[in-house]
Amino acid sequence: MPSKLLEIEGLRVHFDTLDGPIEALHSVNLNVDQGQIMGLVGESGCGKSVTSLVTIGLATCDIDEGSVKYEGKELLFSDSESDKKIQEISGRITAVGVLASIIFVFWAILIDPVQGATFLLVFLFVSIASWLVGFAGKREYRRHQKFMRWVRGNEISMIFQEPMTALNPLYTVEKQISEVMREHDRLVKAETPRSFRVAQALVSPLTLAFRAMRLRPQSASAILAVLAFVTVAHLYGFADDAKNWVFLLVIVIPLSASRTLLSASILLALLPLGIAAALVMFLMLWMPFSALLGMVVISTLLALPVIMALDYLKLDPAHTQQVISILEAVRIPNPIAVVNMYPHELSGGMRQRVMIAMMMSCEPKLLIADEPTTALDVTIQAQILQLMRDLRDEKGTAILLITHDLGVIAEMCDSVTVMYAGSIVEKGSIEAILSRPRMPYTIGLLHSIPTIDDESEHRDVLPIIPGQVPDPNLHFDGCRFHPRCPFADELCISTPPPMIEVEPGHFAACHHTNRTENVADVQGSFDVFAAEYVLKGVA
Amino acid sequence: MTHDSKTDEILLDIKGLRKWFPIKSGMLTTVKSYVRAVDGVDLQVIRGETLGIVGESGCGKTTLGRVILGLIPMTEGSVHYDGEDIRMMTNRDLRRRLQIVFQDPGGSMNPRMSVRSIVGEPLTVNGIAEGAELTQRVADLLASVGLKRDHMNRFPHEFSGGQKQRIALARALSLDPEFILLDEPTSALDVSVQAQVLNLLQEIQSKRDLTFVFITHALNVVNHVCERVAVMYLGKIVEIANTKDLFSKPAHPYTHALMSAIPEPSLDKVARRRIVLSGDVPSPANPPPGCRFHTRCPIAEEGLCDVEEPKLESIGEGHSVACHFPLGPGMKLPILGDDQNPPEDDDMPNTVLL
Repeated sequence: MPSKLLEIEGLRVHFDTLDGPIEALHSVNLNVDQGQIMGLVGESGCGKSVTSLVTIGLATCDIDEGSVKYEGKELLFSDSESDKKIQEISGRITAVGVLASIIFVFWAILIDPVQGATFLLVFLFVSIASWLVGFAGKREYRRHQKFMRWVRGNEISMIFQEPMTALNPLYTVEKQISEVMREHDRLVKAETPRSFRVAQALVSPLTLAFRAMRLRPQSASAILAVLAFVTVAHLYGFADDAKNWVFLLVIVIPLSASRTLLSASILLALLPLGIAAALVMFLMLWMPFSALLGMVVISTLLALPVIMALDYLKLDPAHTQQVISILEAVRIPNPIAVVNMYPHELSGGMRQRVMIAMMMSCEPKLLIADEPTTALDVTIQAQILQLMRDLRDEKGTAILLITHDLGVIAEMCDSVTVMYAGSIVEKGSIEAILSRPRMPYTIGLLHSIPTIDDESEHRDVLPIIPGQVPDPNLHFDGCRFHPRCPFADELCISTPPPMIEVEPGHFAACHHTNRTENVADVQGSFDVFAAEYVLKGVA
Repeated sequence: MTHDSKTDEILLDIKGLRKWFPIKSGMLTTVKSYVRAVDGVDLQVIRGETLGIVGESGCGKTTLGRVILGLIPMTEGSVHYDGEDIRMMTNRDLRRRLQIVFQDPGGSMNPRMSVRSIVGEPLTVNGIAEGAELTQRVADLLASVGLKRDHMNRFPHEFSGGQKQRIALARALSLDPEFILLDEPTSALDVSVQAQVLNLLQEIQSKRDLTFVFITHALNVVNHVCERVAVMYLGKIVEIANTKDLFSKPAHPYTHALMSAIPEPSLDKVARRRIVLSGDVPSPANPPPGCRFHTRCPIAEEGLCDVEEPKLESIGEGHSVACHFPLGPGMKLPILGDDQNPPEDDDMPNTVLL
């Protein structure tokens, strides 16, 4: 019997909105075993992502009740009653104290300096003291936050749906991956000692200049020549004359000389460049030499520290090597080039691989994948799914796979949990759910997907579940699926259905599991019901 | 879709269509090279049919659709609609006869317009109806897509994705066109809603005698909806066939890979061994020479596939394929990449049974 890695029990959360609280999850129970791939499937707005975000402590909702245990440790945090009281009272006292302090500042200025200053001091002292008390009252909370920071990445990682928004567009791949590893102390010892790196950074402007000379000799020598000309012109006093000839020298002569050599399009492209160069030269010749010198000195002084700091912050070769080996593990072709790329330079599949690499870099025991392939093409999706399966097989990472695609679930998962409108309606092994579903929603969902299977009878009209997912604002006493269900009766409207174990390890939340044994019959009822639904005119 | 009176009248005739987008750079926007989004497409659409165009993102299927409708000018080639060159048709005439439903229903509607003005705008612009008559016509249109009359005064944000797509469809239907281009109409929808919209599309087509071109990346949807399917890869059509033929005996290796890559909610995994293509789709700005698929193809032959571009050739009734080595029925495609999960019984050869 594999041990339980993640246990979510009776989770109930709500979002506070201007229209009042919206209950997003109603008593969610979910288990993930060690090394298991658990699928969480449902349509949009059913609470799949909220469940996963609550698990890693990133959700912005309020948790009403329930527990999330990771290897027996509680991940949810709630202040004790006394702590809550302390925080509340200290918060109020601080606010009043600060307000009073501000009033007495004016008092001191406008009415009576001595009286004002005395009161100001008293109130300042009171507000600082109460703030400190409140801060002490949050000790447990801070400890928990620190613990969650350790859990995220180290123990539980998450892959988000849209890799472009999850990756930072301003940093290179190696920077982003190494950041996670630094945060969790996973980087190896640096190859170069610190003193050496400081020295390297100090001479980095020189090395940069050398590199520019080597890589772009023409541009570099052109710039140097212009600078030399300007300096000489100033020193020998012919700058004033020279500035009048600049336009002729820089634009007219090259243009007329090269008319025969260059094509019109290249000339057109060179023209703005020539005008810009002429303008710069004109300005440099026109201003006094002292002003020019001052500008050069100041801009150099501003630029040097930036160049040095950037060089010092560069990644150590050993760390780069570590990142490369991680990228190799997720089968990114040519990782040596990829580490220096920015996210926009990568294709969608590569971005998702980088995302997976980042999440696997600290070797977590549980990977939460929130729609990891929804944004990808099918052939790329196949690659990513295979990669995730391989990672599970090699490292024994458990995966909580959140998706709306039952096909992906069938491909990947050992067990499935089906969610509908914030509650879990069916769970069991992949085999049980796909071949013997018992909750009417699961049955309807499975049938409403068009197949490419040739043997299955080709229906002209696709079977549907009438209606749509209910608004989360609506309150239901009973089963949330009852408006769309062909079997709904008074019981379904009034009483929430319990999770019934229809066979060992297979649970379904339905009052009428005795009527859902034959899948074809259920689909028949759905068809009849859908026709009636349309007749009633509720689209 | 079911359409009994099958006249083989060609409604839309596309010949040698090219759409190259220039890549501009430099100081004065000199054209460096071209993105060959659509690069030589020949296609006929028969009146009353539903033609599916499938392919991965970046293969040019959306560009093809937009060129057909005249939304963007073509670079080369011709599109004839009912014998008329679309470049010669006036915009008003074009829009009356050809309509489009876009992928993102929220993005294709003005959030400040009520449903009445969204659906009614084509009617007022064309001077067909106004006032009470307009309201009545909009109500009829909404009813035909399964919405209620009192939805008319609401705004797009008050609707769910499926309902928005219904509104977009009502707008496309408002001028009573003969041809509707459906550009990924269900990609943004949930599966249960997708099923509803697909059924609605079929119902409307049979009622109004419409011709559909259905652009999508989901092969399972194509199988359900379309009569003929064209598979696109990097701006070219690599295979075109009747849906039944394409799914029972696909001939192009890319079609094979595409079909095997679709995860299906069924358990018989052994029958559907996956072909996992390695690598990404090459950039259309710099397509590989020869056959464009040869960089990812498991049966590509050096010296032929990377040199000579295969032509779209007929291999059966209505079935054409652009491949030097088209696969016949029952032929096997060697698995490219590694198959990490071999089945339990060892007598299964390491090939895909087709």
